[in-house]
This record gives sequence, C-alpha cells and structure tokens, in this order.
Amino acid sequence: AGRLKALDAFLLYVLLTGALQFGYCLGVGTFPFNSFLSGFISAVGSFILGVCLRIQINPQNKGEFQGISPERAFADFLFANTILHLVVINFVG
Amino acid sequence: SAGPRLRLEAALSFLLLFACAQALVPSHRLDARDLARLRAVLERPFTDVRAAFYSIVGLSSLGVRVADEKAACKFIKSHVDSSSVESLFYAAQAMQVLSGCEVTISNETRELLLAAVSEDSSVTQIFHAVGALSGFGLPLASQEALSALTARLSKEESVLATIQALETASYLSQQADLSSIVEEIEDLVARLDDLGGVYLQFEEGIETTALFVAAAYKLSDHVGTEPAIKEDQVIQLMNAIFSKKNFETLSEAFSIARAAGALSQNRFHLPVIIVPDGPAAVSHHQPLLRLQVTNVMSQLLTQVSVKLDQAKSVSSKATVLQQLPFTLSGDFFELNFMNVKPASGYYDFSISVDGDKRFIANKVELKVKVSTEVGITNVDLSTVDKDQSIAPKTTRVAYPAKAKGSFTADSHQNFALSFQLIDVNSGAELIPHQTFVRLHNQKTGQEVVFVAETDSKNVYKFELDTSERKTEFDSASGTYTLYLIIGDATLENPILWNVADVVITFPEEDAPSTVQSKNLFVPKPEIQHLFREPEKRPPTVVSNTFTALVLSPLLLLLILWIKIGANISNFSFAPSTIVFHLGHAAMLGLMYVYWTQLNMFQTLKYLAILGGITFLAGNRMLAQKAVKR
Repeated sequence: AGRLKALDAFLLYVLLTGALQFGYCLGVGTFPFNSFLSGFISAVGSFILGVCLRIQINPQNKGEFQGISPERAFADFLFANTILHLVVINFVG
Repeated sequence: SAGPRLRLEAALSFLLLFACAQALVPSHRLDARDLARLRAVLERPFTDVRAAFYSIVGLSSLGVRVADEKAACKFIKSHVDSSSVESLFYAAQAMQVLSGCEVTISNETRELLLAAVSEDSSVTQIFHAVGALSGFGLPLASQEALSALTARLSKEESVLATIQALETASYLSQQADLSSIVEEIEDLVARLDDLGGVYLQFEEGIETTALFVAAAYKLSDHVGTEPAIKEDQVIQLMNAIFSKKNFETLSEAFSIARAAGALSQNRFHLPVIIVPDGPAAVSHHQPLLRLQVTNVMSQLLTQVSVKLDQAKSVSSKATVLQQLPFTLSGDFFELNFMNVKPASGYYDFSISVDGDKRFIANKVELKVKVSTEVGITNVDLSTVDKDQSIAPKTTRVAYPAKAKGSFTADSHQNFALSFQLIDVNSGAELIPHQTFVRLHNQKTGQEVVFVAETDSKNVYKFELDTSERKTEFDSASGTYTLYLIIGDATLENPILWNVADVVITFPEEDAPSTVQSKNLFVPKPEIQHLFREPEKRPPTVVSNTFTALVLSPLLLLLILWIKIGANISNFSFAPSTIVFHLGHAAMLGLMYVYWTQLNMFQTLKYLAILGGITFLAGNRMLAQKAVKR
C-alpha cells in the first residue's frame, strides 16, 4: 500500500509539472515550441507509464497480470522511460 | 474481323505513302571550296610510297591528274620496299593510275606476293597482296584467293576488314563466285549508325564510312549487281561523308575523294544535287528562277531534263503552276515564274530531274519567294474634332512628299491617318507584316511606335487621341515628326516616309518636370535584404520564474514521499543493487550529457553499454527481491 501511495505521489508530481508547463505555454508563448513539446510529452508520457505501472503492481489486479511480476513491471517501466526520455532529450534542443 | 484489318492495312499504306512523300534531301555535298581544300591536301609533296598512293589515287578519283607524272613515277620506284607487301600494294595501285609508268617485277617479289595470299595472312595482307598482283598485271588464282579471303573473313569481323574484303573481291575475276562477299555489303549497311535520320555512318568514323562507300560501289560495278543500299541510305551516307570539311590527314582526304568519285561515277546510284542560283527568289526585275544540277562533286549535269511538277502557294495552298519544264540556258536551268503573275509571298516548288535511271534524290522541294514592290495610295491626314462640331479637315499627301504645315492633336482634337497599300505591279491590295507609325519628339528624342491596322475594306487607319495615349508619350507635349514604316520579307522596297509634323499637346498638369530618358543600363536601386528576425523571447525574469515554478513540484514530491514513509531502510547493499543504482544514475547523467554535447549515435553507443550493465544488475536485484518476497 505504501508503494502505491509513493507511486501516486510521483504521479501527482508529474501531473503538476505538466500542468505548469502547459500554463507557461498558454501564458507566455510557444517559443521555443520544440522545447515545450518535448517537456510536455515527457510529462504526459511519464504519467502514462506511471499509471501503467500502478495498474500492474496493484495487488487487486493480480488476476489479470498472471505472467508479470511487480519486479518485471518495474523493469518494463524503467525501460520504457529510458526510451521516452531518449526521444525527449533529442527533441528538447 | 476483316473490316478492322483492312482499315489497318489502308492506314499503314497511307503512312508509307506519306513517308515516301517526305523523301530525304541531301544536306551536304562537296562544293568548289571543299574540292579545292581536298585537292590542296592531296597535292602535298609525297613523303613515302603510301602518301604517294593516297595522293595519286585520290586525285584520280576526283578526275584530276598529278602535276608531274614522271617525277611521281620516279619517286615511287625509288621508294618502294620490295620486301613489304603493303609497300608493293601502294606502288602497284599508284603506278596503274599514272600513265606510262611501268616496272618489271622480279620473281622473288612475285613469289612473296603470291605467298601472302593464304589463309594464314590477315585480311589486310590478302587485300594488299591481291591489289599489288592486280596492279602489276601479274596472274592471280582468283578461286584460291577467294577461298583464302572467305576463310579469313569468318575469323576477322571488324568493319575495316570487311571493307578491305570488298575491295579485294573487286580485283578477282568475275568467273569466281563472289556472291558471298557481295552479301557482306548488306551486313555492313546494317552496322551503320543512324544519326537523327539525317546521317548514316560507322562508329569507327567518317573515313571508314567513306572507304565503305567506295568499296561497295567498286565491287558492285565489278559484278554488275546493284548494291543493297536503299536510296535514303545513300543520301544519309552522303550527308555524313561530305559533312566533314576539314581534312587533317591524307588518309581521310583520300577516303573522301574516293567516296566522291564512287558516288559520281558508278553503274547504279547517282545522287543529284539541285542548287538554286543565289537565293530562290523572283520578282519583276528578276523573273527567272535559275537552278544548277550537279553531282556530289559539284560537276554540272546538263544532259538532264528538269521539270516543275507543281508550284503551290504556301499561304493559300492553291496550285499555281503544274508540269512545266525548265529551259537550259548555258549552265543554268531557267523558268520564268512571273509569267503566271503570282501574288507576292512564298511558294513550294516540287522539282524533278530526269535523264538517267541511276539518279537518286532527284525530286526536291524548294521554297521560292516572290517579291514585289509596294505603293502607298490614298494617304489622308486629318484632324478630327472630338465634339464633332467641326467637320474634319483632311489633307491628302502623296508619297514621298511631306505634308505642308503641321497638324495638331490636343484635348479637343484627334489626329487621324488613313492609307492603302497596293502591289505596284498587279494593283492588288497588300497586307505586309510591318505597318508602323512612328512619332519622334524632335526636342527630347523620345519616340513612340504604333501599329496601323486595317478595317474591313483593307484601308489602314491610325488615330491619335491624346487622352488615351498620354502614358506612352509620358505626357511630353511638343512637335513630333510622323513617320510611316512599311516592311515585309517579300517587299523589295521597304518604306520609311516622313509624312508630316504633328504638334501634340497634353493637359498641363500631367507634364513631367523633366523627361527622363529611359536608360535601361543604369544601376538599379539596391535591395536591402531583410534577414529573418529572431523570434521575440520573453524577458529572462519570466523564464527564470517559471523554471523555479516548474521545479517546485519536485520538492512537493520529496515531502510527500517522506510523509508516506518510503522505506529506504530496505536498501540492501548487495553489489547488484549498487551497480544497478549507479548504472541507472549514469544513464540519467548520460541524458544530460546528450542534451549538452553528444549526438544520437554516440548516445546510443553509451546507452547500449550502460543499459546493458544496468539491465543485468537490475535483473539480478529484482530477482533477489522477488525471491525475498
């Protein structure tokens, strides 16, 4: 349960970060657009991956993820994040 | 199904007919200057026996004898190398052309030549040996020579070897069956390259093509069979060979001279060339169309009959004349075209030359121009009142006089000009290509040109309205000289006529202060290039504030995690755990370095290494964790 709470806290952090980026864009302007997109997609992507991880390690959903242990889910999470951030850093400029 | 097939055949035969109608016309020949150049090259002093051969035989092909035959004969006798078959060939052939040049051949020389005629010699050697034996008048076994040649030819496939085989066969007796060699002519024709439908030549060059023509006709004359070269192909070969006007080497000049000789004197194909005397144009002063008929060497053919098949007007497509013979007068064939009183313009003449069955390219199309003189009549200059309250004042002027007094054109008067153009000789109305009215400002040098156009009754009219035309004149008032310019390709007397002076007044407010001469070649104003402006950035304060703002959730996250009680206590110091965390941290650090310094390829390389390590360590670590659980 503690794990889930920690994850939720992380998700909240990512959400706030994304929202603030979006607010900046609305308020100040889209320059430089690629950087905004990069940061925003990083936030959104991380949020989605985090949600996926949360679903997979939730003990209540154990029935649906027979072959995937929480450790495996976490490893997948890290791997996907690596790829996501590789692209994000490429694009941030 | 018979219907469509029949239609296809009809269409094909129609196309064929159309193609025949567009027969090829020779585009190149040896005119007098080319012949002079050719002779100059061939008449150079001999350097060796081969040069002597080229010069003597080449000149004889052109119908020219060597200047000093005795000296030439002596030269050959002194320079011939009796041990070389090639040298003997040159000597024999050259001496045959020179009159009174005889030599006795020793037995050894004869044996040498006869031995060379065998399957073991190359085609060139057989050619030289046979040619030498024939030139010296020595007996030769034609059948054996033929079999040696045929055997050798099947091994050597080059164009030059085949051409030499053709010439060799022309030295052999007609009793031998030379048909296999004669067939080579057709094969060689197939190997010619067609360039644009106009030229036909071997890829080896014009010299080879010329040698082929000479050899083919020599052999054909010898056996009495028409060579397998079509009429169009002969013309294309001609075009290629005689397109070369500069003869650098003696061998080249020789080959072209022999080709010219062959094409002007053989038993089967004689190309004729029809040359008009000067430009093909007739007029009342010069009513005769004069033509010369020559062969490829510009030698006049007078024992021929030249006939006009038909003459059609280009513009109206009406046939003006049909089936009229030309009359021979001296060197020229003449026809008085003005007898039929043709209207001025261009006419397509279809002319045919007959007199010999061997003639080819003897039907040509010639474009003939009929010129005439133009006369200007009924020239009326008038000032027309715009309100039409006063009747127009008209003055008649006769060419080439100038109208007395000047005319005015201003805000309430227009200036008008009308005239008619007629053909002086026939009285018919003319519509030339150029009918211009030019107004020249005497003070500023400006000139404005207008086109006078005809109305329905073929009367030319021009009207000057100052309010409509002020932009052309830049509103510059003043006295302008009016010229009438009449011109056309078919007019012998183009006209530039100063008709009158016109005082043009434009309304004052439009007049420019100074009239700038429109000089097109002054430097133009410089263009300032506007570089792309960098986009506006927000002030640094705003950016920094937001950066801090965006980082603040991180703080929140740490606080929350501490509150939730993330257990760092469970941290085991197993090596795989440490390696994993270090590796992961390194990957994050790599991301930063990628942002600042690296490119994707380098990053992927390092990522592969770090990722691999982290993966292995992480795998171990998570497995241990799972076991613990």
